[in-house]
Amino acid sequence: MAQRITIDPITRIEGHLRIDVEVDNNAVSNAWASCTMWRGIEKILRGRDPRDAWLFTQRFCGVCTTVHAMASVRAVEDALKLEIPLNAQYIRNLILIAHALHDHIVHFYQLSALDWVDILQIPKADPAATAKLAESLSPWTRNSRNEFKAAQDRVNAVAASGQLGIFMNGYWGHPAMRLSPDVNLLAFSHYIQALEYQRKALQVVGILGSKTPHIQNLTVGGVANAIDLDSPSALGMDRLEMIRTLLDEVVQFINQVYFVDVCAVAAMYAEWFKIGSGVRNYLAVPDLPLDSKGEAYDLPGGYLTNGNIAGVRPFKTASDPEFRESVSEDVAHAYYQNGKALHPWVGETEPAFTGWDGDQKYSWVKAPRFKGEPMQVGPLAQVLIGYAQGHALTRKYTDLAISKIEAVAGIRVTPDMLHSTLGRHAARAIRAAMLAELAQKHWQLLVDNIAKGDYTVHNQPVFSGREVEGVGTHEAPRGTLSHWVVIKDEKIKNYQAVVPSTWNASPRDRSGAHGPYEASLLHTPLARPEEPLEVLRTVHSFDPCMACACHAFDPSGRQMAKVKVL
Amino acid sequence: MKKVLIGGIGNVLLGDDGVGPYVARLLAARYEFDEGVEVADLGTPALDLIDQISGRDAVILIDSINTDAAPGTVRLYRKTDILRHSPAVRMDPHSPALAETLLSTDLFGIAPADVLLVGIAAESYEAGCSLSQPVQTSLDQAIAEVLNELDHLGVKHQCRDNPAELDIWWTTKDGCR
Repeated sequence: MAQRITIDPITRIEGHLRIDVEVDNNAVSNAWASCTMWRGIEKILRGRDPRDAWLFTQRFCGVCTTVHAMASVRAVEDALKLEIPLNAQYIRNLILIAHALHDHIVHFYQLSALDWVDILQIPKADPAATAKLAESLSPWTRNSRNEFKAAQDRVNAVAASGQLGIFMNGYWGHPAMRLSPDVNLLAFSHYIQALEYQRKALQVVGILGSKTPHIQNLTVGGVANAIDLDSPSALGMDRLEMIRTLLDEVVQFINQVYFVDVCAVAAMYAEWFKIGSGVRNYLAVPDLPLDSKGEAYDLPGGYLTNGNIAGVRPFKTASDPEFRESVSEDVAHAYYQNGKALHPWVGETEPAFTGWDGDQKYSWVKAPRFKGEPMQVGPLAQVLIGYAQGHALTRKYTDLAISKIEAVAGIRVTPDMLHSTLGRHAARAIRAAMLAELAQKHWQLLVDNIAKGDYTVHNQPVFSGREVEGVGTHEAPRGTLSHWVVIKDEKIKNYQAVVPSTWNASPRDRSGAHGPYEASLLHTPLARPEEPLEVLRTVHSFDPCMACACHAFDPSGRQMAKVKVL
Repeated sequence: MKKVLIGGIGNVLLGDDGVGPYVARLLAARYEFDEGVEVADLGTPALDLIDQISGRDAVILIDSINTDAAPGTVRLYRKTDILRHSPAVRMDPHSPALAETLLSTDLFGIAPADVLLVGIAAESYEAGCSLSQPVQTSLDQAIAEVLNELDHLGVKHQCRDNPAELDIWWTTKDGCR
């Protein structure tokens, strides 16, 4: 008989991801992804000055601040057909890259690694043997016996205290945990080091954006950074050199630690290349513009359906007409008043809460569709779409990842195996390595352009009286982000944000088609249904970001998640 | 010199959840502090809070609280109060993570010695940019609690002779009143 498992972070006010699965013969037979809170904060933007919108959108999410700010100014610029000076493009690109590197490091080590790494095996590890193993995988200088011993001592101290602290909720000793004690120690040591390197990436965002967590340097038409090579208070060589030093350190961590760890862990769990596939339609938009008009990009976009790599369709620009015209949101299974699927420019958000009903309405997330189909977005989409188009940088790091995994696993790995839970992790590492290389490139582009004597950072926006529409996109760490704005009389008439996790956490649509999280969970084997580690592995591989919209501290502890087995 | 963070936490687009950033900005505009003090509007930082509090001797956070107490009630929480309940099985990396942040700083050996959360009971978390009347009435009390804690820490503060400009942009920008 099918068993129902709910993973629900019960709480009154915070929006969270809830997952329900039916389990039959120790495998998932049906799945529902839902979000537990309505935000509706886009409504706050109506009637405001479009030039201020980014200040507000950057508060949508506490961690993805920068990406919402960027998509917003791009939406208004698209509506006004505004060109962006080269310096501003490069500065924005550097901010976006640094933010993405920070985000990918945090995602793998802080969120996902402990789905695969068993902390309680670490006391059994031998730091010297771990160091020897690590040296065989990477030239990273901090792979020393002393570093591993120090990391092991931390775990021993926590274990000896009888309080597991931060580790009290892990599924330690679960039969799906399979790494050797030494590999567990290796990964945990990097988990500690990751904290330093993600911070360095964030410092780059802070230097260029004036502040974190909320950058201050954006403006519709460019950036507000004053460029003066000789002034310590402006963006000059001192700050540029500081940025370069930080980036170089982060790039080294990505190449020698993160990329290597993902390949090694993937090789040791190779069966997860067959689990977690789901929706094989992929969508990504081009990003990192290389000119002021937004006609050339360093990262390609496009879409492909049914896993058909050869059938990839490229997007020429970040607001490609095919993309602009093909997005709609369906609410058949979302807590909104029914109607036909609507384009974001005419999107409506009228709540109709019914309570969770898996056959009817069950989520606050709308179901975004591209040409009526669910699409998977995120690093896997980015990598597959780039690979399919023969994009050199994507091929370089995809092939490198495949060869590293093959070397450790001793099996043949094909790009087709990337349609999987591990594929999403591998793709994120591939994307990070690509972005790391591009960080250094865009730093050089900025420095060279300034050296030519070009100090321009801003073009003045000009409004016409007539109604105009715009879309601003960004290929964010979690995938395609799009902000859709309608402007009339210099005021915002309508505003909708279609965020990456909405694509991936989408509920079913009116045709019954599952969203990507839901589809990816089907057929997943569960060793112990009451400890659904395997479900978490696949959900975490998407890097979900549902809402940190509201941050209230609840002294009663109501923010505890629970796993309920019926 | 003690390194102290005074951090306002919350979402300024969700009614009373904006009280943390509001109080932080009031403090920065009205008072001068010892050199080691940083006052920041942190928004909704999730695990990035680890970076914000690491390396500080003391941390004072101001946040809305979700409780049955009357709206506007100010309550104080120490680290043990915050850690009384174990943190959640994490579904996403971006959920509020105060308890996890503190536990992580313990693990990494970078925990501040003193932690105080000044909590203000909210009336409404509906989308909107203004504070409810009861929460507005409690702003001065919340500020007084922050200053008390600074006294307790031996950190100096004084009223500015000429208050700096108060930048509560989300309540003053066109269209949000």
